[in-house]
Amino acid sequence: MSRSGFFFPGLLACFAVSFGITVYAPHSQIGALLPSFKDEEGLITDVYPVAQGGNAASGREVYISQGCQACHSQVVRGSESADIDRGWGSRRTVARDYIFEAPPVLGFSRIGPDLTNVGSETWRNEPETDTLRPDKRDRAWQLKHLYYPKAVVKGSNMPSYAYLFEERKISGHPSSDALVLPAHLAPKAGYEIVPSSDAKALVAYLASLNRSSPLKEAGAIAALAPVKK
Amino acid sequence: MTEAAGHTKHSHSDTDAAHLAPTRSAIDAAVRPAVVGLFFSGLIWLLLSTLFGAVLAVKLHFPEFLNWSFLTFGRLAPASESAFVYGWCSTACLGVVVWMVARLSGRAAPGTSLISLGALLWNGGVLIGVCSILLGNLRPFNGLEFPLASFVLMFAGLCLISTWLAVTYRSEQGPGLGLMFVVGGVAWLGWSLFTGNLLIVSQSVTGVVQQVTASWLASGVLWLWIVPVVLGIAYYLVPKVTGRPVFSGPMGRALFWMYFLSAGLISAARLSGGPIPLWLVSVSASASILLLVPVLGSVYNLLATARGAEVTSTSPSMNFVLFGVTVLGVSSVLLAISALRSVDYAVHFTLFDFGVRALLLRGSATMVLFGAIYYIMPRLSGCEWLSSSLISLHFLGSAYGACMAAAMLLLSGLASGSALVDGESTFSQVIELGSSYFWGHTLSFVLLLGGYFLFALHFLLMAARIGQPAGEPTLLQSHNEH
Repeated sequence: MSRSGFFFPGLLACFAVSFGITVYAPHSQIGALLPSFKDEEGLITDVYPVAQGGNAASGREVYISQGCQACHSQVVRGSESADIDRGWGSRRTVARDYIFEAPPVLGFSRIGPDLTNVGSETWRNEPETDTLRPDKRDRAWQLKHLYYPKAVVKGSNMPSYAYLFEERKISGHPSSDALVLPAHLAPKAGYEIVPSSDAKALVAYLASLNRSSPLKEAGAIAALAPVKK
Repeated sequence: MTEAAGHTKHSHSDTDAAHLAPTRSAIDAAVRPAVVGLFFSGLIWLLLSTLFGAVLAVKLHFPEFLNWSFLTFGRLAPASESAFVYGWCSTACLGVVVWMVARLSGRAAPGTSLISLGALLWNGGVLIGVCSILLGNLRPFNGLEFPLASFVLMFAGLCLISTWLAVTYRSEQGPGLGLMFVVGGVAWLGWSLFTGNLLIVSQSVTGVVQQVTASWLASGVLWLWIVPVVLGIAYYLVPKVTGRPVFSGPMGRALFWMYFLSAGLISAARLSGGPIPLWLVSVSASASILLLVPVLGSVYNLLATARGAEVTSTSPSMNFVLFGVTVLGVSSVLLAISALRSVDYAVHFTLFDFGVRALLLRGSATMVLFGAIYYIMPRLSGCEWLSSSLISLHFLGSAYGACMAAAMLLLSGLASGSALVDGESTFSQVIELGSSYFWGHTLSFVLLLGGYFLFALHFLLMAARIGQPAGEPTLLQSHNEH
C-alpha cells in the first residue's frame, strides 16, 4: 500500500485505540453499576446511593450554573493523599457514589475545600484551636456564608453570592429566613435580607452531600494504608 | 522570509514545486477572504479571552472585584478558557490549515465561500457558548462547558470546512510531515467532537464515565487538534523559511505515529485520584511519559533543521515558531512530571495544572500561530509587515507574559501542593501559600494584553494592505534582540 493509502486508515486505528482504551473499556467496567444494599431475608435495607430529588436536585443545577465546580471538587482521594486527614471524607470516593448523577460534578481544582461530604456532620474537622472553626455548619451558617463568606470565615477567598439574596422591606412579621448579620452588613432599619429560591435550593443541595456510606470497593482500597486520625 | 528566501533551496516533499509558482498567487487570492476572516475572528477571541483572564487574575486577590452574577469566578473561568481554546486557537488553526492544505496540494477548490460559511458557524457556536456560560447555562465538564447547541454549530462549520479541504487535498506521493500533522489534527477534531458529544448527550455513557468521556474529548482538543497543528505548522515553515530539508524525514514520520498513539491515551490523567479504575490512571500516566519521546523528538528534529541557518534569528516567523516549539517541549516535560504518582498527589487540584495549560496554550500554541500569521499574511495581502519594532514588542510581551503567567501558576501550585499533601496544615494555610504568586500572575496579563493588542493592530493594518512594499521582507534587526 502506498504511503498515502496508509495514512487515513492508520489515523483511524489510532483513534480506535484511544477510544477503545480510554472510553469504551472504562464504560464496560464501571458503566452499569447498581446501588449497594443489604438483603435480610427479602427485606432490602441500606440502599446507597439514592437519587436526589426535590430542592436538593434543583440546588445541584444552581451549583453547576454558578460554576462552583471551578473551585470546589467532589472527590475524596485515598489515604495516599491527605484528603481523609483533612476531614473531607472517611473513605475514598468510588464510581458507585455517582451513579445517579448525570453528570457527576467532580470538579478539577481546589481553590476552595472539597465538598464531597459537606452535608455530613463530621465534615472538615479543623483543630479545636482553630479560631475559624464554626460551632455548627447548619443551614443558617451556609446561607450567611453564601451571602458574605468573610462574615463567617475570616480571610475567605470565596466571592460573595449576595445576588442570590433579596433585600426587601419588612411587612408584618420578619421572615424566618432573614439573615442575622453583623452590624456592618445589616440592612437599613425596616428591611431584611432573605435568600432567593436559588440560594435555598443550593443550601439544600449542600446539606444533601454525604457520600460516607460504607462501600465494599472503597473500603478495600482504604484498608491498604492505616488512616491517620 | 519572502517567497524568494523561502522557496529557493528546499527539496522537501512538503514544499510546492517550482512549477507551481504562478498558481501560488492564484491560490492565495482564492483563500484570502476566508483565511483573513478566520484570523480576524480568532484575534477578537484572543483579546476577549485574555481580558477575561486578567479579570480572573484580579479576582484571585480580590474576590469581590466585578462581582456580578455573569462575571462570577465560576462562570468567567470556563468562558475565558473556552474562548481561548475554541475561539482563538481553533479558528487560527483552521485558518492556517486551509492555507497550508491549499498551498501543499497546489490548488484551491472552488467554493471558498464554504469555508467562510463554516467559519461563521464555528464562530457563532463559540459566541453562543461563551454567552451561555456567562448566563449560567453550562455543563460541569472541564474544557467542555459549552452547551450542546454550540458544539452542533461548531461541528457543522467544521464539516463545511473539512468538505472543502477534502476536495482540495491532493498528495500524489503521500503527505509530507506538515500535511500529516495538520490533516491528522482536523480529522481527530471532527471525529472526537462528534463521538464525545453524542455519547454524553444520548446518555450512552452515565455517571463517572460521562466525565471520562468529556475528559477524553477535551484532552483530544488540546493534544490531538491544537498541538498537531502547531507541529504541522513548524514542520512546514521551518524548512520553508530556512531553505533546508527537514533534519530527518523518516524519524519525523515514525514520531508522528508514536505521537498520535500516545497522545490518545493521556486523557484520564486529568481524573487521577478520582473514582475511575486505577489501571486507567496508570495507562494515562504511562502514556504521558511515553509522549515525551515523540514531542521531544519532534522538537529536536525541528531545532536541528533550523540550527545555524542565517534567517533563524532575523525572521519574525522563525522567532515565534521556534520559541513555541521549544516551549512545547517544556510543557510535555511538565506534563510527564505531573503524571508521576507522588507528584500528582501533591499538585493535582492545585493551580499547577493551569500552569501547564497556560504554558502549552499561551507559550507554545499561540506563539506558533503568531509565527504562522506573520508568514502567511504578507502572501495574502501582497505587502510586508509595517514595523519590525512592533513585531519585537509583540514578541517580548507575549513571550514574557506567557512564561511569567505559567511560572506563577506553576509555583503557586507547587507551594500549595506541598502543603496539601501534609494533613497537618490547615486548608487556609494551603490557600495562603499558593496566593503569594498571584501578584506576579496579574502583572503577566499586562504584558500579554499589551503584546496581543499591538499584534491585533498590526494585523488590522496588514489586512487593510497597509505595510511595506512587497519584495523586501520585514526582518528583525538584531540577532541578539531576544
